[in-house]
Amino acid sequence: MSPRGLAPVGIVLALTLAGCGGTALDIRYPEQGVNPALLASVASRRVQISNVIDRRLETARVGIEPGDGGDIVTNRSVADIVHEALGLEMSKNGHVLVSDQPDLVLRPVVEGFSLDTVEGYQSVQYVGRVIIALTVVDGRTGDALLTRRYVGIRRREVDKPDKKQWREVLDTALARAMHDLATDPDLVAALGGSGLPSARPAT
Amino acid sequence: MPWGRIGSLVRRTRAVGLTVVLLSLWGCASAPPSRPAASPFDDVRRLVIVASGESSLSVVGHHTQPGRTFDEILAWYPTQAWMRPLAKLLHKGVNWALELGQTASISGRVDDISPRTVVVTAMAEKLRASGWFDEVRTLEREPTAGDPRHDDAVVRVMVPAWGLVRVLEGDPDLLAGFADVRGYLTIPGAGVVLWETTQDVTAPGQFPVDTFMKDPDFARRELVDVLERAGQRLASELMYARSAGR
Repeated sequence: MSPRGLAPVGIVLALTLAGCGGTALDIRYPEQGVNPALLASVASRRVQISNVIDRRLETARVGIEPGDGGDIVTNRSVADIVHEALGLEMSKNGHVLVSDQPDLVLRPVVEGFSLDTVEGYQSVQYVGRVIIALTVVDGRTGDALLTRRYVGIRRREVDKPDKKQWREVLDTALARAMHDLATDPDLVAALGGSGLPSARPAT
Repeated sequence: MPWGRIGSLVRRTRAVGLTVVLLSLWGCASAPPSRPAASPFDDVRRLVIVASGESSLSVVGHHTQPGRTFDEILAWYPTQAWMRPLAKLLHKGVNWALELGQTASISGRVDDISPRTVVVTAMAEKLRASGWFDEVRTLEREPTAGDPRHDDAVVRVMVPAWGLVRVLEGDPDLLAGFADVRGYLTIPGAGVVLWETTQDVTAPGQFPVDTFMKDPDFARRELVDVLERAGQRLASELMYARSAGR
């Protein structure tokens, strides 16, 4: 085979490895880690998750590489990552994801999804931050039943710069936001059809 | 070389290339986040949460100076390698004094706060709200042998560190409240740890250090808020792990 024949494979391989170099992060909420929690304590509902609105100030990146200032991005849109995570939590808790005639509609808004680096003298701290505002709407009446804000933050200090930590920090921040959501008694009440708005202010 | 063999070689090479690409992508995939070693404890209906251990308030700056300046100076004198540990020591000393001053300034307004009590109370409130437990009570110290109550499980909660930490570089740098907490659940008499977690909890709000220093009441509110968040975080993780056994 001529070297020309190997060129396309080489280009794809180089681009893939470059992606692994740390600029494109594969952030996801792992399905195997999702447990039926409080959300499973109410009867199964038909749930529609509407398109996730990304309301961050900077939607093109999640962070800036220390030193060269390059963008840190995710290999899927942040909206897709959050939509998938919400879908996993709902379905693992026994609710049925539908696209029409829902009992309830979840309207998620991403307010934060970022990675910050704080360089010290002989140490580096990474801070991952995921903020999801969620409104639960009655599928029949269109009334808003609940609005809550779930904040997941992960702070990790290491001795030397380590790009491998970027994904861990954002994965954990996302998982914390989702665990708070999955164990929120007010969200359970809204899903259960109590129809009562939360007595507690959004955090 | 016959065309048939060349075609076969090309296909095989592409297959190998594709395999390498797929393996590379697999290497990029998210590793599942570490989870506490969850054991089923669904039978736990009566829970006591005990505040435990010592807590230390601090302002963590993660400063780069003066260490970096020492390094730049030493770069001009490569033969003086023995001075590097001294530069590191000086950096630590200068920042220790700086952070000690800031900590002392804040601690005067928050020394009546018991971080463990705030965390334990917030955790208990969230667990009660879940409806999963018949009773959740809190203790400031270890239960005595004469305690007539019989709890299904004991959760011990520690707050080894809390205070302010630099979370964003800039001019000025921004700080946020933080609380590092640990919790573990045991069954009385058995001593087996059925659940444990360590959580670094950070407040979402970020402010210049002067904001905290000039407004002690604000600093106090932020610190109490992050301690409450830490308690709620522990409760969330406990409930999430508990459901694993359901």
